[in-house]
Amino acid sequence: MVVGKKGIPIISNKEDANFREALKLFDSKQYKKALKLIDLNLKKNSNHAESLALKGNLILNLPANGENKESDSLSYINKAIAKDSSNYLVDHLIGIYYRSKENYFEASKWLKLSLDNGSPNKAILRDLSFMQVHLRDYKSLKESRQIYLEHQPGYRANWTGLAIAQYLNNELTNSINTLSKIEDIITPHLNASDLYEHNECTLFKNKIYGELKDYSKALEVLEGDESKILDKLSYLEYRAKYLLMMDDKKSASKIYRALIKRNPDNVAYYNLLELSLDTINKPVETRVKLYEKLSNFYPKSDPPKFLPLTFIPSTNPIFETKVKEYLIPQLIKGVPALFVNVKPLYKNQSKSEIIEKVVLEFVDNELPNIQNPTVSVWTNYYLSQHYLYKKELIKAMEYINIAITHSPTLVELYIIKSRILKHENKIAEAMEVMNEGRELDLQDRFINSKATKYMLRNNCVNEAIDTISLFTKLDEGTINGCKDLHIMQVNWILIESGEAYNRLYSHYKLQLESQENDTDKEEIQELVEIYKGLSLKRFQSVLKNFEIFYADQYDFHSYCMRRGTPRDYIDLIKWEDKIHSTPVYIRALKGLTNLYFELYEEQKGTPPTDDDIQVKKINKKQKKAQVQANKKRQEFATRVESEKDDSDPFGINLINNLLSDDILTKLYELYKPLIVEGKDLLLTWESLFKIYLYQGKYVLALSAIKNFHKLLNNNGTTTTTTKHCKIISNMLIALSDTLNSDIDVNPAIKKVVEKGIISSYPDFEK
Amino acid sequence: MGITIRQATINDIQAMQNANLHNLPENYQLKYYMYHILSWPQASYVATTYDEIININDQEINLDEIEVTDAKGDVSYINKGEKIIGYVLGKMEDDPDAKDKIPHGHITSLSVMRTYRRMGIAEKLMRQSLYAMCECFNAKYVSLHVRKSNRAALHLYRDSLQFKIESIEKSYYQDGEDAYAMRLDLELDKLLSKSIEEEDDLETDLI
Ligand SMILES: CC(C)(COP(=O)(O)OP(=O)(O)OC[C@H]1O[C@@H](n2cnc3c(N)ncnc32)[C@H](O)[C@@H]1OP(=O)(O)O)[C@@H](O)C(=O)NCCC(=O)NCCS
Repeated sequence: MVVGKKGIPIISNKEDANFREALKLFDSKQYKKALKLIDLNLKKNSNHAESLALKGNLILNLPANGENKESDSLSYINKAIAKDSSNYLVDHLIGIYYRSKENYFEASKWLKLSLDNGSPNKAILRDLSFMQVHLRDYKSLKESRQIYLEHQPGYRANWTGLAIAQYLNNELTNSINTLSKIEDIITPHLNASDLYEHNECTLFKNKIYGELKDYSKALEVLEGDESKILDKLSYLEYRAKYLLMMDDKKSASKIYRALIKRNPDNVAYYNLLELSLDTINKPVETRVKLYEKLSNFYPKSDPPKFLPLTFIPSTNPIFETKVKEYLIPQLIKGVPALFVNVKPLYKNQSKSEIIEKVVLEFVDNELPNIQNPTVSVWTNYYLSQHYLYKKELIKAMEYINIAITHSPTLVELYIIKSRILKHENKIAEAMEVMNEGRELDLQDRFINSKATKYMLRNNCVNEAIDTISLFTKLDEGTINGCKDLHIMQVNWILIESGEAYNRLYSHYKLQLESQENDTDKEEIQELVEIYKGLSLKRFQSVLKNFEIFYADQYDFHSYCMRRGTPRDYIDLIKWEDKIHSTPVYIRALKGLTNLYFELYEEQKGTPPTDDDIQVKKINKKQKKAQVQANKKRQEFATRVESEKDDSDPFGINLINNLLSDDILTKLYELYKPLIVEGKDLLLTWESLFKIYLYQGKYVLALSAIKNFHKLLNNNGTTTTTTKHCKIISNMLIALSDTLNSDIDVNPAIKKVVEKGIISSYPDFEK
Repeated sequence: MGITIRQATINDIQAMQNANLHNLPENYQLKYYMYHILSWPQASYVATTYDEIININDQEINLDEIEVTDAKGDVSYINKGEKIIGYVLGKMEDDPDAKDKIPHGHITSLSVMRTYRRMGIAEKLMRQSLYAMCECFNAKYVSLHVRKSNRAALHLYRDSLQFKIESIEKSYYQDGEDAYAMRLDLELDKLLSKSIEEEDDLETDLI
């Protein structure tokens, strides 16, 4: 909200009154009325800076009037700046303008200036603080929060805000002090509706004590605060952790037991219980006994039954006994997830052999005596997955077929059969079978998703979108759910589509090379362009979703202070700081990277050859064909539009824009956040290496190789696998070859890099 | 790996959204998941599988032989080896216009990936969420909607968890299907399932 300054006339006349009135209208979102007043002002005095600034905002907020809304509004903002940028009202309005455009960097600059120029409006500080935390400018954030708190100490949210700012500045003790102070002040005045916030703030304070690593102090405070804490789960978890850190293992173990009692399905508690009982290095028999006891307490829970299978050595006969106890009842009960549950044990080959023996013995000895026929179905289902894991595909297929013959309507069986076919590289058949499964249960979205995925794997994108559209929102005037899939941020399908389009692109590109006939060539050329564009477009839509995910946090910068959830707010900040290294983003980026490199080669290589196609004369027959083709193209466009009135449905403009740009720099921009967020990813260094190499930044390229190499050693592995050795040596070869053939390279740099290679990789032969 | 049931955090929301998109037609943008976690952090739970523990526990596995790779680019993975296979998204009633001012919870969404169904995961997720609603937010009861034709869910709510059908809401869902509005009064002590045989007294030595 913009508060007009009262009684300090700039130009004390009607204009100022009009302006103030317009400001009020702006605040209550009556933009049209406000604009009328402002226009009146500007007619009389076209230099009225405040009016200019407000007009810029009004144009931005009014429904689009013509093409030039953006530049129009900006021109008024710039005029206002030129007229009087030391006017704090003008500064504030410009800040608001940039805030609306989500340009928080500029916005915060202007809001700050407004305050520096004497704005008495302290609410600006709040706005400013949201932007500062959004921009991770923690130092300024603390200042703003501090001043704002002094101005408005009557709200707990402002104290929480300062404490968080201090925390983010790593001033842990100050943060605790702020939290304690308000806790003391507020305790006598609490209502029932404040208790949850009180609880969360108390726990936040305690969490920081824990981070200071003075565990006995943290424990003392925690116990003193017990009556304030509603979240007993956190209370117990913190307490147990402190006790464990203080080496009071016996007390800790009791709390882990209490935690297990609350939730006997959390594996972490069992591990911590063992840590506090010091059993990890005890004889296996002791540990097995422990878990037997726990399993008695919690017969419905999986961890106490499963965990022993992870630590009992395969050579110990107990392993076989325990495997039997675990597997057989579940085979008899028919637990579909049995195989996926035990699959991690298969990493240990001797264990997988024992498991196989146990199941086969069950089939030979017990199964014949079991009346219920579904037991044999689930057992065959299990064995099929077992052999699929072992890549014995023929056996896997035999078992699943037996199961299907017996229970032809059991959807789960088709999922496995389809996966076996996929492993046999029969992608089309795999898709058919998964679809058969889907048709058996049209109500279930899970199997619909699987069928959709397999269609995409088989490059049948249209069928896939039609299939998944059975479960998406269908807006009027749309023929499928493609737009809804974008709105609902269905990243998995965007990625799979991007990859499918990419395969289609490669396919037609190959075809193009072997094609003789000119008209066919034209047609194929068009498909190549379209699929390339669509692939790029889908991958980019995933990246766009991540931009939204990042922007989503903005509202919570104020909400969480008021709601009083500082702990989870801090988690949010930390999570946002690494979203670019989460698996989905990385996969989309990988797809994009390959495309970018291809486009780069294209840009470097042959100049565009479209000209000869366009000047060619078109006869009547061809004209008709072209009309046909255009119609087809139009139809296709309506299927793949990612938003309403998509101006670039095939992503052709995206491609062309890239081709006329510096592709490597664009790609580098995408990787920039990963240098920090994704420093533990192989992809980061592999791609950066290539970018640097092409850019002629050889020193950086070498350090990318080293970072790549370091990752391989960091993860506990000491011996680098041959596959990775090969990658590294290929990188080194590429680097040294490029270096040698680059005639422009600075000789000093060349020397440095060559030396670097030799000193880091003495075995590397040039 | 055994399944773990634990409280959901912000780190899980992408994969929760993914599970929701795989299992149900009622979907939400990520911000709505954020809103849940940041308003009622204790009320949502996830079921995850966790592979890494095997590597740590099993002395016979040579860590050196495990190839270093990036986390799988699968949308259900939140970390290396950890993927989300089920979730419950819970909240407290926060509509200022709501008729009933008694604090009560609401289940926004619940689902389990098909290949992990029928082993009690949904029931466990629900119990943890309801327990937290009661304990942290003083919820007196919890309400939810379910499709009339959803046999599995109906069995879970009515038979396993003892929800009662309050009313039928005509054409509640986008496709026109009716919903049952269901409700369960919450009592902390009754929410956790107890072993009938033996209970841990939390005192007697375990080993
Ligand atoms: C509903 C759903 C969450 C249940 O998950 P789940 O983990 O398989 O459920 P549980 O194993 O905890 O089962 C709970 C009870 O329901 C029963 N049940 C589960 N699936 C069933 C089915 N298909 N038919 C009949 N009963 C079923 C179980 O037997 C169990 O009963 P019990 O306590 O008497 O043994 C799961 O089927 C699902 O995700 N479905 C799609 C999404 C959905 O419908 N969500 C609910 C929206 S309101």
